[in-house]
Amino acid sequence: MTKPRGTDGALLHSLPWTMLAMAVSFAAHIPFVPIWITAILLGSSLWRYSVERRRGNLPHPIVRAVLALLCFLGVFFTYDTISGVGPGSALLAVMAAMKFLETRRRRDQFVLLFIAIFLTMSALLREQYLWSLPFLVVSLMVTLTAWLQMSADSTAGIRQSAATGGRMLMYAAPVAIAMWIFFPRIATPFWSVPIDTGSAISGLDDQMSPGDISSLSLSNAVAFRVYFKTDPPPQKDLYWRGLILPEFSGRTWSASDWDTGIGDPPDKQLKVYGEPHHYQVTLEPTRQQWLFALDMPYDWEMKNSFMGRQQQLLSEHPVDQRVRYDVVSFPEYRAGVDINPMWRARYERLPSDSNPRAVALAKEMRAAADNDLAFIRSILRMFSEEAYFYTLQPPALGRNPVDQFLFETRQGFCEHYASAFAVMMRAAGIPSRVVLGYQGGEMNGDYMIVRQADAHAWTEVWMDGLGWRRFDPTAAVAPERVDAGRAGAVFDGIGETWGMSAPSEFIYNMTLTWDSLNAKWNELVLGYGPENQERFMEWLGMDNPDWRKMMFTLVSLVAAFVFLISMLMLYRNLPPRRDPAARLYRRFVKRSGLELKTGETPDAFAARAASASRLREADIVAVTRAYLAARYDPTDENSVAALQNAVSAARR
Amino acid sequence: MQGSNTLEKLPVGKDSNRLALRNARQSLNTVILGKERQLDLALACLLARGHLLVEDLPGLGKTVLAHAIAKTLGLSFNRIQFTSDLLPADIIGVSVFQKEKGEFVFQQGPIFSQLVLADEVNRATPKAQSALLEAMEEYQVSVDGTTRELPDPFFVVATQNPADQIGTFPLPESQLDRFLMRLELGYPNPANERELIIGEDRRTMLQSLEASMNVENLRALQSAASDMHMSDALVDYIQALVRQTRESPDIDIGLSPRGAQALAAAAKAHAFIEEHAGVYPDDVQAVFAAVAGHRLKASGNSTYRSNSELCQHVLDSVDIP
Repeated sequence: MTKPRGTDGALLHSLPWTMLAMAVSFAAHIPFVPIWITAILLGSSLWRYSVERRRGNLPHPIVRAVLALLCFLGVFFTYDTISGVGPGSALLAVMAAMKFLETRRRRDQFVLLFIAIFLTMSALLREQYLWSLPFLVVSLMVTLTAWLQMSADSTAGIRQSAATGGRMLMYAAPVAIAMWIFFPRIATPFWSVPIDTGSAISGLDDQMSPGDISSLSLSNAVAFRVYFKTDPPPQKDLYWRGLILPEFSGRTWSASDWDTGIGDPPDKQLKVYGEPHHYQVTLEPTRQQWLFALDMPYDWEMKNSFMGRQQQLLSEHPVDQRVRYDVVSFPEYRAGVDINPMWRARYERLPSDSNPRAVALAKEMRAAADNDLAFIRSILRMFSEEAYFYTLQPPALGRNPVDQFLFETRQGFCEHYASAFAVMMRAAGIPSRVVLGYQGGEMNGDYMIVRQADAHAWTEVWMDGLGWRRFDPTAAVAPERVDAGRAGAVFDGIGETWGMSAPSEFIYNMTLTWDSLNAKWNELVLGYGPENQERFMEWLGMDNPDWRKMMFTLVSLVAAFVFLISMLMLYRNLPPRRDPAARLYRRFVKRSGLELKTGETPDAFAARAASASRLREADIVAVTRAYLAARYDPTDENSVAALQNAVSAARR
Repeated sequence: MQGSNTLEKLPVGKDSNRLALRNARQSLNTVILGKERQLDLALACLLARGHLLVEDLPGLGKTVLAHAIAKTLGLSFNRIQFTSDLLPADIIGVSVFQKEKGEFVFQQGPIFSQLVLADEVNRATPKAQSALLEAMEEYQVSVDGTTRELPDPFFVVATQNPADQIGTFPLPESQLDRFLMRLELGYPNPANERELIIGEDRRTMLQSLEASMNVENLRALQSAASDMHMSDALVDYIQALVRQTRESPDIDIGLSPRGAQALAAAAKAHAFIEEHAGVYPDDVQAVFAAVAGHRLKASGNSTYRSNSELCQHVLDSVDIP
C-alpha cells in the first residue's frame, strides 16, 4: 500500500513560510555544520517548493529512503559519531531536509516546524551569547508565524499571523522570565552536553614546540575578562600565568600529570609581601584545567580548584562553561625557595644529545659571568643587542630547533625566545621552566579584556635564596610587545611589524562596546547560577531561600499570570454587559422557577409562566409589560424603575 | 404563539388612519376566514412597501386574497394571468400607431395599476418574468426609450403553484429576494371550511366589499409604520438572527444585508398593525418565516424538511437579548 504522492498546490500558500522558519532556525548552525548539510537542506526545500508549484509528484519512497540513508551515513562519517551537539544538529537538519521531501499535508508541516524549534534550541547548546536572545526571539517569532499561517485558511494575511504570533510570545514571556528567575538552580547540571572533540578552541595548547608553527594567527576572541577591585597593575606587569611546562624533549616543552596534581597550600609554597591585587576573572571555556592569575596568586575563591605544584591555579574539572573566580595576587613574593633536590634535578634536565651548540654557548657565557644574575643579564643583552628579530611568521625549524634559532634564523616570537632562554639556563645548571599564559590586557570601561592574541610564553628561573623569578626574554627583543600592550601597539603602528593591520578605530571602539555589553550579559543572565540566585532571592526578601520556597513562588507566579491572562481573554470575549432591565428580568425568570427557552419571547414566557409557575398571573403580566416597555419601547422614561417595582412585587 | 396580553397596545384614539386600518383588517377577515395571521402578514408587507409572493395549491384563496386587499384598501386592481406565451408587452403595454393622430400612442399594460396580481408567475418565460420583476424593483417601466412611472403605491402580489412543476420556470433565487415576503395560505380549519361551503360565494362578497381607506390613508400608514422605533435590544436580536442564518450548519446561504433590512421593515410594519407600543421580539418572530423563508437555502445535509421548519429552528436557537 503506497500513499499517494501527488500534490495539489494546497501548501503553496504556507510552504514558503515554513521554509523561512527552517532557514532562520538553521542559520545559527551554518558556521558549524559541514557545507553539504546546508546544501542538502536548501536543495530539498527548493525541490519541494517547485514540486508544489508544478503540482507534481513527490519523490518515490525508494528515492527518499536511499537519500535518507546516504545523509545519515554522511553525518556519521563526517563526525565519526552521532552524539553530541554537532552531529545532533546535523542530523536534525538532514531530517528536516528529508521531511521536506515527504511533506504532503499540514500534519507533515507540523513536524517540520517542530524540527525548526529543535534546531533553534540546539543552537543554544552550542553557545549562548548576547545575540542568542534576539536570535531566539526572531526564530520563534518566524516559526510561530509560519505555524499560524499554515493553520489559517489561505485568506489570512501574513500580518495577521505575525501579530497573533507576537501576541502569543508576549503572553509567554512573563512566564518564561518567572521560570528563569525562580526555578531553583543546581550547582551541578542535570545533564552535560557532550562536547565536540573535533572542534578546536583557540587558545593555549598544553605543550609548546617552537618551530612547529610557522605562523601565529592573532585571534581577537576573548580569553577572559577581569574586574580589578584594586588599581590594575601597569601593562608590563600583567603576566597571567596559566600552565607551567617543566619538561623538555629537545623540541617540545610539556607538563606531566604530576605537574597538574595538587600541590601544597599557598602558604607553604609562597611568601608574599607588599600590596596585593584583588580582582575577579571571568574565564571563557577552555576545556582545560588551568585557571589564569597574575603572579603570584595567594588566595582565591572557586569551588573545586586548587594550587598546583608550581604555584599555578588549577580546576579539578576541565572548564567547559564560563567560570568566575576571585583572586588575590601579590607582585612581590618568594616562591619555592626551599626546592626539593629531586624536583630541582627535573628543572635542570636536558636531553643529552640535543641542541649542542646552544648548550656550549650557555656554558661559555656562564663561565664568563660572575654569577647567575650576570649570566642571565648577558643572555638578555645578547637578545636585545645582537640581530634577533621578533616576528609572527618565523621560519620553520629542524632537528635542533634551539640551535637553529639561536645561530641561523634568529627570528621568532615569544615561544622561541622563552624556549631558547630556558634551555640555556638549564645548560648552565640553573633550574628553569617555561610558563604559558597571557601578557597584557585592554581596559574597556571598568573591566579588562584579555584576548587570545595576548597569549604569551615566558620563563621562570630559580635563584638561590630568591626562589622562582620571572624573566621574559621576549621583552628584551621587542620591549613594545610587553610595555605598550597589543592594543596600544595596534594604533602606534608598532603592530604592523607583527603582521597586524590597524583596523578602523570606529569599528574597534564598536567591538569594545559590544564586548562590554556581552560581559554584562554574561554576568547578569548567563552567570545566573545558584549563588547569584540565592543572592537575588535574599534581595527580594526571601529568608533562607531554598528550592521549596522558590518553587512555591514560581508556581504561584505562573498560576497568577495564567489566571490574569485567562481573565483578560475572558473579558475580551465576554458578551456585552446586560442592561439593567435584562438583569431584573433575569431575576424574575429565576424567581418563577422556570427556565427561559432559547428564542422564547417575554410574551410567550409570560403565557407559559402563567400556567406553570408559582407566581401570580397578574404579577407576571405586570413584570413582562414593564420589561417590554423598558427594553423595547424607548418612549417610556421610568420604565426601569417600574420594572424594578414589578419584579420586587412578584413574589409567591 | 400570542400567549398572554402582555404586549402593550397603543391607544388608537381618534387617529383616522389607524381606525381605517382596523376596519380594513375586520372586513378582510369577513371575506377570508381563519387566516388572520396571513392577512396581517400581507398587510404588513404592503405597509412595509414590499411585494408579496403567495405560494400554495390552487383553490386556497390566493386570488381572493389579492382582490380583497385591493378592494378594502381602495386600490386599483389588475390581474395578469401568466402563461408560457405571455410577452413583456402583454404586461407593460405597447405603442400603437393611431391613424387619426398620425403618431404612436402608448397603450398601458395591466402593470399600470396600484395592485397587480401576477397569477401563476412561474408559468411564464423568464423574459416575461423579468419584465415584471424589473417593474417591481424600479417602480417604473421603459418602453420605446421612454420611462414611465408606475402608480404610487404599487404592489405586486404574485402567486406560484408549488405542486405542478411541469412546464414552469421557477423564479430564480436571486429574484425571489425581490419579494419582501412569501406566504403560504394552507387549508382552512373545518369550522371555517364549513362556513365557506354553506355561506355566500366569496366572489360576490368581493363585489360588495367597501373600501375602508383611500390612498392618502395608506401613504400615511406606510410612513407611520416605517417610523416605528426599534430599540437597540431589538436590533441586536435581528442581527443575532441574521448571524445565526449565516453560521448555522443547516443553512448554505443565509440572509443578506437586504434580507436583514427586510426583516426590520417587516417587523416594524407588523408591530404597527398589531398596534404595539414598540417593536417587540414577538413581531420579529411573527414575520421571520415569511421574510426569511424564501431567502434561505438549506444545506444538503439539513434535516429540516421545509424552509418554515428551518426558520423555526433558527428562532429556537437564538437567545433574545
